[in-house]
Amino acid sequence: MNLATRARRSAKVGWTAGSVWLSYKVPAWLRQLSGRPKRTNAELSARHEKTAQRILALALDMRGVMIKMCQALATRSDVFPPEFITHLKQCHDAVPPKPFDVIREVVERELGKPMDAVFSEFEPEPLASASLAQVHRARLVDGREVAVKVQYPDIEDIIRTDLANMRRVCQIYEFFDRQPLELLPLLTELTSHIGFELDFRREAEFGRRVRELFESDDQVKIPESYPEFSSERLLVMELISGIKITDKEAIEAAGLDPVDVVQDLMHVYVRMILAAGFFQADPHPGNLFVTEEGKIIVLDFGLSKELPEGFGLGLFELMFSLMTFNETAMLRAFDELGFRSKTGDSSTFLLIARRMVSRSNSGSFEGEFTEDMTDELFDAIREDPIAEVPSDFVLVSRVFALLSGIAHTLGSRANVLAAMSGN
Amino acid sequence: MSVASEPDPDRLTYTQEELLASGSYAEPLIANDIRCHGGFVEDGSYRSPRTLHRTPAIAAWKRRLSSEGHELIDIPRALMPPQYPNVEQAKLLLQSGVREPIVRALTIISIVEGFGAMIRDVRVPKLDELFVGGIDGTALAHLRTGLFEAHARDESGFEDEGGHKQMWEAARDEALENPKIPGDVLMRIMGRRQKREKTGPLFPEIDPKLERMLGFMAQVMVVEVFAEGTFDWGIQLLSDSTVSANAEAAGAMVSHIQKDEKPHVEYLRTALSEARARTIRTVDGKEIEGKIVVDEFLHRILHAMTRERQRDQREDLRASLVDAMQVAANPKALLEEFDSLDADWNPPADTGFVSTRGSQAA
Repeated sequence: MNLATRARRSAKVGWTAGSVWLSYKVPAWLRQLSGRPKRTNAELSARHEKTAQRILALALDMRGVMIKMCQALATRSDVFPPEFITHLKQCHDAVPPKPFDVIREVVERELGKPMDAVFSEFEPEPLASASLAQVHRARLVDGREVAVKVQYPDIEDIIRTDLANMRRVCQIYEFFDRQPLELLPLLTELTSHIGFELDFRREAEFGRRVRELFESDDQVKIPESYPEFSSERLLVMELISGIKITDKEAIEAAGLDPVDVVQDLMHVYVRMILAAGFFQADPHPGNLFVTEEGKIIVLDFGLSKELPEGFGLGLFELMFSLMTFNETAMLRAFDELGFRSKTGDSSTFLLIARRMVSRSNSGSFEGEFTEDMTDELFDAIREDPIAEVPSDFVLVSRVFALLSGIAHTLGSRANVLAAMSGN
Repeated sequence: MSVASEPDPDRLTYTQEELLASGSYAEPLIANDIRCHGGFVEDGSYRSPRTLHRTPAIAAWKRRLSSEGHELIDIPRALMPPQYPNVEQAKLLLQSGVREPIVRALTIISIVEGFGAMIRDVRVPKLDELFVGGIDGTALAHLRTGLFEAHARDESGFEDEGGHKQMWEAARDEALENPKIPGDVLMRIMGRRQKREKTGPLFPEIDPKLERMLGFMAQVMVVEVFAEGTFDWGIQLLSDSTVSANAEAAGAMVSHIQKDEKPHVEYLRTALSEARARTIRTVDGKEIEGKIVVDEFLHRILHAMTRERQRDQREDLRASLVDAMQVAANPKALLEEFDSLDADWNPPADTGFVSTRGSQAA
């Protein structure tokens, strides 16, 4: 990337960040000076709405890490208001593809040979395009159908520049704002995630581990990756197709019971998260399918996560204590999972737990993290300045909330404890 | 109505508050510094929680069933698969320094007991409308109003009072001195997945909620009956001072759990026997004998639990035991001695219940 491009990207990020910051601060200062009351929730919500749209537009213009950042922000309902979440999650499907010539160049460079030496067919139109890469349908010369994930050229450079820009913006923001949102830790986490995501060998390795985990389970299908054609920037995988997991009509038309599909899907995620301690952390409907025979297909291990030892048992104990209303055990589980209170007053977590459980349909925790409950949990955490929440917990809650959304679409419930007990 | 009133042995109708009442204790049960349910009465004996009215109520419902000429379901003890590893094998492992499999087994038992909390979430349909002649004055009529809730609380604890989950943990920690919990317990619980039979409902002619409820109750009852073997195993093993650091406390804790479990088996037996003795209204206005439905479930569950599942579980367990034995001084000799303590077991050919539907008809 040349110096001019780098300067232009820096200027865009700096300009947007400065304008956003001022759009919150100037009205607040003016109100303070004139003795007017603070902005109402409705006024604040309108401001959030405009800001989120502006950030989304910047991300779609700049792509690369900006899109990645928006996707990451969209997963942190515990930090950002709902207006941000709603807009920024559009980044998942709104990325325009790169021209095929650009893609061909990357493929041939990574393979070290012409495309037709490996592929007998390669569809120029991508199946999907995302922030770091796009996926094409192809056929190997031996006849196997494959999905080829190709990383955009120069993406590493772009990311390095954007991350440096964002770090500077965050530092300036934290310097000027007396009560800043703690953005630098989020950025550090994002930097580490992106580092992993840029290395497709790691994605292939995660996929291999998950495939191995379900080796003896004939209800699960994980695509095999082909290391002989893959590299850090190119991933060639078995192409598997199926019915989109939220397409209830098609599932029923295939003679499958949507309740069974949910049960199998939950089994897959509970086994990965609670029992194995590593999981595919992006269960949106574009990554989950079901075959005509009822096998669950999980795709895309780019956003995968390894959990710390004991996390699964800790989460189980937390759910269990929520279910039995045992507050002593709840506090112990919160502590084991890494929740911390800045003042040492752990009762704040009980209040958060009570708020969360109060949003369940029955008023008690029956083993399902519904979207309503998770939203309430994140609202409570965001409104409570003394609570520190482990990012693993936030990610896992989000995954279970997404699964709950899918389960409800299929007319069922995403009960974690039931999936574990086999009921 | 006071929950502390003297129980009337002939009463057939109870409130939820009564079925959950424990009465007073002279001394609470404390395990691992956690206040558990139940407690000790004046003469020092242990009295199970929530039994002040529940025990006489179950006895009254049973008497009524018998007086109407119906029999109680009985699961033959011969169907109960033996514990693996058995008491002697478990002792040998502990004495040889192979502690992990026993710690894992005790932890898994505690977690599985905890899953009992989910019984409170069983959806109970309008049974009065589904059974010909109604269900007044039966255990069936009290499932939603006390029996399921009492069962859930007994197993998993309630509020800051521990239940069987915490009691098993306490027994394990007393006997084996707060051992490190193996990281794979949840993986072992999820185990090998049973292949689902994609056959739809077994009884499409009855209310689906009723089918699910009766199937679930039959499953839980069989598990509870088979758990008798686990309790005997736990008591014998953890009461042995050659392998248990606090044999008296650990063994006593398991025997308290065993005592608490009796009402679970009994109310499930009674309610399922009542369902079996009645006629069920079908969704198309016809009728089907409850016996056909209940026996079908019992046959299928017993068949699976004494054959494929038992065989799979034993195979998986054996593989992990052989791995764990590698920490012993002489793994090969230990395995030989371990195997010599095993006993052959074959399930009886007949489950004792008649199946009329599907591939497992017998």
